Amino acid sequence: MNVLDVVNVKKAFGSRQAVDGVSLSISEGEIFGLLGPNGAGKTTTLSLISGLLRPHTGTITIGGWNVVTQATKAKALLGVVPQEPALYSQLSAEANLRFWGTMNGLQTADLTNAVKHALTVVGLTDRAQERVAKYSGGMKRRLNIAAGIIHNPKLLIMDEPTVGVDPQSRNHILQTVKNLREQGTAIIYTSHYVEEVEDLCDRVTVMDQGKVISAGTVSQLLNKAGQYQELVITVNGTKATSLMQLTALPGIKEIFTINNVYKILTSNAEQVLPLTYETILAEGMQVSAIHIHKPSLESLFLKLTGRTLRDQ
Amino acid sequence: MRKCFAIVSVGLRQMLADPMYLVFTLGLPLMMTWAMSFLPKEAGIYEMASLGVLVMFVALNLITSAGSILEERQNGTWQRILTSATSYWAIMAGYFIRLFLVAATQAAILLLSGKFLFGAPWNHGYLELVVVLAIYIFAMTGLGLFLAGLLKTQGQVQAVAMAIVMIGTMLGDVFFPIENPSGVIKIIAAISPQSWAAHALRDILTLGVSLSSLVVPLLWMTGLGMLLIIAGVLRIKIEA
Repeated sequence: MNVLDVVNVKKAFGSRQAVDGVSLSISEGEIFGLLGPNGAGKTTTLSLISGLLRPHTGTITIGGWNVVTQATKAKALLGVVPQEPALYSQLSAEANLRFWGTMNGLQTADLTNAVKHALTVVGLTDRAQERVAKYSGGMKRRLNIAAGIIHNPKLLIMDEPTVGVDPQSRNHILQTVKNLREQGTAIIYTSHYVEEVEDLCDRVTVMDQGKVISAGTVSQLLNKAGQYQELVITVNGTKATSLMQLTALPGIKEIFTINNVYKILTSNAEQVLPLTYETILAEGMQVSAIHIHKPSLESLFLKLTGRTLRDQ
Repeated sequence: MRKCFAIVSVGLRQMLADPMYLVFTLGLPLMMTWAMSFLPKEAGIYEMASLGVLVMFVALNLITSAGSILEERQNGTWQRILTSATSYWAIMAGYFIRLFLVAATQAAILLLSGKFLFGAPWNHGYLELVVVLAIYIFAMTGLGLFLAGLLKTQGQVQAVAMAIVMIGTMLGDVFFPIENPSGVIKIIAAISPQSWAAHALRDILTLGVSLSSLVVPLLWMTGLGMLLIIAGVLRIKIEA
């Protein structure tokens, strides 16, 4: 049985359709990536799954329990790790975990054991008695994860858990996510770091403007991105005339301009580069940086929408 | 119930860890109560002033403490509580109990310090006092929850709290009697729970009135409190 089933869910705010007919399902022990730029509908989708918002149409079930009509039972199976640490800064890590454990139905010895276990998982046992206000950003994020997993949920939502953390904490968080998968926890993982999603996720759904625009395993999506490499050339100001000339060059599949950057999809970047470089110079522009990226979920998104995942 | 008390406990610990909160909630009102003890102990004058301080600071405390819900929204803990396996009504009951307890403790400390530290000449009507204060705190807790659902920022809470408390107490015939009040002043005094509470408390301590004579103020404050609590709880639910 799937841990999560989302069926044709729609949610609008006024005239803006934030989520438009989204369907997805996640099974036990699966890490499910949710990708999309800001405003794509990811946060609204996560809010709907976690019961913070009600869908206008469609159904969401966690472990077979409807999130709207059987909210308490559904939420007992759900853990949430919000993007910004949601903790009580004046309390210790242990006091925070005891509170979140209690709110999720744990008590007495089970609660004490769960607090100890969660602190061990995130590597904060030695600092358990310190006030959270004294914690570093990375430690707060780790404690934020501990608060989300303390009741051993079947489904865990992790919204950008590695934003702004030091490499050591980041590695610890990523390893924690992998360990949770091995224990059978289903995880919804959102991140702007595409390489993280490619490395961690079993399946990925790409959203844009409230809709699912692509879905599948990472390898399936990379195949959809095709064999195209992404040639990224930063110049001192793009020109419409040069864009037309570049588009006409042989070997270029598609080209997009984003601010002062040309993003070119091509099957052979090294072959295309000299001619592209000459064309840009001939237009009187100066090149300040050139990068070649292998096919990625970022290039798939670019191909599908003409925008990058970090577009506002 | 355990979850309710967890919400109460965590909120109280957060509040008590903030020294400014203690200064604002206890230090300042205690100083004011002490200052009022220098007023002549003539029947009515001292009671009016010291009970005015109590009524005003309890109202101020309750409305600003309700702003802690806004703070929790901004910190994300509110949303996290809503995603936990806890019913919405248990969550709101936890917040209500927290606010009520804080105000009741504050009121008790101010009354007891007035009596035992600053020599207030009160020696009767304790039961009536407790009942009126409990219902007054209930009404103001409702106002606090209602404002928490209505307002968006802490700045708004502070501004509205000051406006409601100042208008309700200064123009509500709480600190000093207003002779020949205008129509507006009469309306404020008729609506303001601070005015009803201050008059009821004063009548208990100076005239020794019983609860049966206080049915109107008690019913008014209870009704207002219930209305505001229901409106606030529903409003916060929609906002969530």
